[in-house]
Amino acid sequence: MIDPARPRLALALLAAVLLARTAAAEDPAAPAPAPRAPLFTDADILAKPPPLFRLDSVAVRYTRFDQSGTGYQSRAGKPGGPGSEEMRVDQPQLEVVIKQGAHLTHRVWIPVDVVTAASPDAIDVVSTSSRRNEAASVDWTATYAKDHTTASIRNGHHEEENYRSWNTGLALTQAFAEDNTVVSAGMNVVLDWFDRYLLSGTNDGHNARSSLNFNAGLTQLLSPTTIAHVDYGYTQQEGQLSNGWNIVPTPQGAFQLEKLPGERGRHAFVGRIAQHLPWNGAVHGSYRFYVDTFGIVAHTFEVELHQRLAAFARIRFNYRYHTQTGADFFRTSIALGDPGFATADSDLAPLHAHTIGFKGTFDFPVKLARTLHADLAVERYFRSNDLRVSVYSCGLGLLF
Amino acid sequence: MKISISISILLLAVTLGGCAVVPQNRRARLADPMMSLSDDPLEAHRKQKLYSTREGAAGGDGVAAGGGCGCQ
Repeated sequence: MIDPARPRLALALLAAVLLARTAAAEDPAAPAPAPRAPLFTDADILAKPPPLFRLDSVAVRYTRFDQSGTGYQSRAGKPGGPGSEEMRVDQPQLEVVIKQGAHLTHRVWIPVDVVTAASPDAIDVVSTSSRRNEAASVDWTATYAKDHTTASIRNGHHEEENYRSWNTGLALTQAFAEDNTVVSAGMNVVLDWFDRYLLSGTNDGHNARSSLNFNAGLTQLLSPTTIAHVDYGYTQQEGQLSNGWNIVPTPQGAFQLEKLPGERGRHAFVGRIAQHLPWNGAVHGSYRFYVDTFGIVAHTFEVELHQRLAAFARIRFNYRYHTQTGADFFRTSIALGDPGFATADSDLAPLHAHTIGFKGTFDFPVKLARTLHADLAVERYFRSNDLRVSVYSCGLGLLF
Repeated sequence: MKISISISILLLAVTLGGCAVVPQNRRARLADPMMSLSDDPLEAHRKQKLYSTREGAAGGDGVAAGGGCGCQ
């Protein structure tokens, strides 16, 4: 027989338990139950956020220019005749590219020039103070890129013994038609500040010049193997445009300083095209037309042949031909005391110039970075008015 | 002068005339470093140094002409 008191006891116990749970749930002072630890974190799902600053690439290049020849603007020769233009330049460069966030890129570039045997073209004929001249620049470019648009701002400073320069610039690019067409525009301003010299080599205070430059360009994909680019640039220069020590010989065996106009407008048109070749090579061609208010008209043609030898190696041969008329006031002799514009600078003379070059490039995948880049280039420049330059250059870089 | 203008117009016409769209999946050869129309910046500076300090007709395209040696 069942005891009638037992069900009543069980029901009472159940009611007590339910009441206790309800009271605990309604009591605000009661401690909240500890949350369950998640089985995975946000980072497990979204991956680790990238650092704000990220090193993108580091590159160095060393170049040597060995120059020989003569020019009438140099005093390092017989009176009335051309003087030596012998010179050697060692040029190390460093470039660091850093990404900031998703859209901003910073490029810091430091080129250095060590010019030796500069005396034939400088004040060293009078004072041997700068037979070896060091020059360095610091240049910073910030580029913002989003979707199909990029905007850049560039600032730089150049410093050497008797010369300082500041430059700033802006550039914009906009891509159209699924990036088949890219239009670019930019402007640059350069301000130079340098020592002024008398004919005797005495320092005569300072002088300045400015350069204002505008550029517009168009790059177009023409086919899956062809790309072309056209560009126009205009530069307006004002101030002392001579370097302050170039001379013009006189028939009497004396000389006077060159005298150039105080302003110069310069137009340059450039067209380039690149075609991929079926045997894993490429050919590039370019033409440049130049005209300025000094009376110089120039044509420059250049062709490059590229050939890939292996996945990590390629070579390039290049040839360039340049021809220019002389400045209206170019002469190798001037009557003593002639107040007109005159220069004997071989760079402003009518001339033809050839450049022949070779370059080998190697790109290896490495553990430390995405790519280890190395290249070696040799070039020979020679022109009709007695100037020759041999160029040796090697580059090394890491792309992360 | 006439030859230069003719060549410039021809280049411009060729460029503008080629406005047929090349789809993204057919640009593999264009992405090859050999096809880059500009040198890497350090090499470009090396070339600029060679010409801008030795030819009175250098510069003016892409960068300001002038600066450095006054003979430019």
